[in-house]
Amino acid sequence: MSWVHCGKLLFVGCDLLSALLLFRLLVLRGSTRSSARVLCGLWLFNPLTVAVSTRGSAESLLAALVLSSLLCLESRRRLSAALLFGLAVHMKIYPVTYALPIALSLTGAPARGRGLIQNLIRCVSRDLLQFAAVSGSVFFALNLIFYCMYGWDFLQESYLYHLTRRDIRHNFSPYFYMLYVTAEHHWSGALALVCFLPQMLLLLLSSLAFRRDLPFCCFIHTAVFVSFNKVCTSQYFLWYLCLLPLVLPRLTLGLRRGLGLLLLWFVGQALWLSPAYYLEFEGWNTFALIWIAGLLFLLINSLILGQIISHYRPAEAQLKKTD
Amino acid sequence: MARFYLLATVLCFIRRGSSKQADCFPSEWLKSVSVSVKISKAGFHRDLQYRVQWSSTDHDVQALLVQKLPSGVYMDAYQLETLRRDTGLEVLLDSEVDLEAPEYLSSGFTALVFLSGTHEAVVPVHGRYHRPSDSSKPVKVDIEPPRVLLRSDQCETLQTRALGRTLGPGVRGVVVEAPCTVSNHSICSWMQILDLQGDAGVSLELPVGDSSLVLTVCAGTVLTAVLSCVYLLRKIWKHGSF
Repeated sequence: MSWVHCGKLLFVGCDLLSALLLFRLLVLRGSTRSSARVLCGLWLFNPLTVAVSTRGSAESLLAALVLSSLLCLESRRRLSAALLFGLAVHMKIYPVTYALPIALSLTGAPARGRGLIQNLIRCVSRDLLQFAAVSGSVFFALNLIFYCMYGWDFLQESYLYHLTRRDIRHNFSPYFYMLYVTAEHHWSGALALVCFLPQMLLLLLSSLAFRRDLPFCCFIHTAVFVSFNKVCTSQYFLWYLCLLPLVLPRLTLGLRRGLGLLLLWFVGQALWLSPAYYLEFEGWNTFALIWIAGLLFLLINSLILGQIISHYRPAEAQLKKTD
Repeated sequence: MARFYLLATVLCFIRRGSSKQADCFPSEWLKSVSVSVKISKAGFHRDLQYRVQWSSTDHDVQALLVQKLPSGVYMDAYQLETLRRDTGLEVLLDSEVDLEAPEYLSSGFTALVFLSGTHEAVVPVHGRYHRPSDSSKPVKVDIEPPRVLLRSDQCETLQTRALGRTLGPGVRGVVVEAPCTVSNHSICSWMQILDLQGDAGVSLELPVGDSSLVLTVCAGTVLTAVLSCVYLLRKIWKHGSF
């Protein structure tokens, strides 16, 4: 076995580690060990997970880091959580969107009877400052080390590349065709901003709404981020699929409806993949079909997310019910 | 004294070597060299099938195909590296090729296909996205035929072949410098055959987007995004705890 396969072995190992972390998190949040095992199986035996890791994509590494920082936060090990979060953001940029829900979950609740200024000061709690300081230092320290090792190339490949990246090839994103046909128009800059707005609004509101249940908040965050992003490929799905087993125990959807939504998700993907195959491998002009399939996929994703949000019962509600 | 003998021996070998060069690539033999290029598969991922033929000769012949490619296609350096490890295909690219850029933001490049010991090579090539057009006609990318360079390890140098000197009626050769092997450690002199008998080059057709639909696409996309966003905002507002 050549050294080339070491990377794939690492990602497969991180897959297994992610399953273990999921198990620990599920048990911590109140699931029985047998149901936790079944839910971990959804990640372990998911063909998409297996395919992406063995193909050599590093998504499972990020999944392990994100799950371990969530586990540390749930078990109040804030220092370790901050370290792991800083490392996760350094590896790939998308976990930085979790900063807002984590910050909101670490702030104290605003107390009535106090003034606005006092409430704002209370918001910036000691825990939050400590978390920000530790994760920020880890992030910058790692960046400094790699900048010293690789110089400008490191910054270019890790961060600046994403700012100037012009990949307009077909992908699951609903904006793909719009960005392709308007690529050289002078109002393409304004359009890019328009694409950013729904993502931003939804991320802000969901952070505020679900800050008390961090794994659920992160799941909604990532699902929204991926669905409304300018570029979306199938490995991005793993970013929120690793958090789905944490959401499932508190979902009151019912098996039939849940399976129906899952089937709808697969149908949405299949409707996109068929014209995409004919475009890429047969040379047919199926651009319009891919565009419509992309829009349909966004609608399907939004419907599924909406159903998950409306059928989710957070822990407090469950506790209140038993009172 | 030892140095004198060493120098004499070396000069002796060089003289012997250069007297062999006249037989290395004789004009009659050069007329038997031919190259054919075919393009297979469909869509954006194609294979360029090269086949170089020459009549048998008593010394080894190394061939190098210099393929100039337009900005409408690209080759994946990582894929070529994997193929080199797995199948022994030797292709060297002359510059960094951006895998993602569209055609109007890219430039052409040159691929050097080394055929040492083999007469055939299959090189994967990929199409880039082109500018959208008003009509639904696909865009055509033409790939010119490659230049054929020859070299033999048994011939020391080709410096006795003067530039532009005719090797025989209808077969003109030129000495050019190119990497010796795909590892690009050293430069050797190769014989480029001009006026080669062969195919006229290949072309591929790639579909492009429809720029006449710009307004429809923008309106439809923005509308769908706004609808989905509003739906989700309502759900979050209704079921979130603020």
